[in-house]
Amino acid sequence: MLLVPCPNCGPMNAADLSYNGESHRRPDPKTCTPEEWRTYLYLRENPSGWLLENWYCSSGCRRHFKIERHTLTGELRAPVLPGRKPGATQGDMK
Amino acid sequence: MVEITHLDASPDTRVPKASVRAADGTAAAATLGLNFGSAEQRGETLVVRIRPDEWYLLGDGAPAMAAGLDLSGFASTVDISHSRTAVRITGDCAADTLSKLGSADFSDHMTPNGAALGNGIAGVTCDIVRDDQRGVRSYLLLLDGSFITYFLGALHDAASEF
Repeated sequence: MLLVPCPNCGPMNAADLSYNGESHRRPDPKTCTPEEWRTYLYLRENPSGWLLENWYCSSGCRRHFKIERHTLTGELRAPVLPGRKPGATQGDMK
Repeated sequence: MVEITHLDASPDTRVPKASVRAADGTAAAATLGLNFGSAEQRGETLVVRIRPDEWYLLGDGAPAMAAGLDLSGFASTVDISHSRTAVRITGDCAADTLSKLGSADFSDHMTPNGAALGNGIAGVTCDIVRDDQRGVRSYLLLLDGSFITYFLGALHDAASEF
């Protein structure tokens, strides 16, 4: 079982989350070239090593987050919510 | 011994439910409060902060509490009484039963009385509230009503050994 640390919920069974693939920035469709858009849509780095990925906590807090995963060892590190620094959580308001 | 009750199957035990979505800094969020993943009984209403920006109001007092909230700013409330259905599982082996069907840690250390979490139980996404009844371990499960027949079967099957 792969334990994925959600920034809000803590370690979760990967089966309780949705994997949304490699994280990469979308180019501006108004200014990018067709080659850049095609690369964004279809091409992936698929490295042998650390990879920044998008996950969705579908059974827990229902938040998207990014996390680094080592594609060889399965090791995971530095989960982060969009627009927040690593280690920050949402919902700590009292 | 585990007791499984489909609360919404009977008018006598039906649980009115309201969902409140409220962003940080809104009046509704300040009124409801609580930390993410916790629940508190307030009069006839069980208030559950089930997600960072979402609360459930459960019980007979839920409609009145939802209607009385200040929904100014980025906040809204929806009656979910007929989309989500409630199941209560009570007994000393309730946690063992749920552990057979889900991957969450239901020990007292991780989910004490008053804890709330989302987890897949028998493949069905459930919102779970630890809500002990008169000192006996008990969990309130909220799930999509469409799955209830399958879900009750899976629960009873898992509980049959206890």
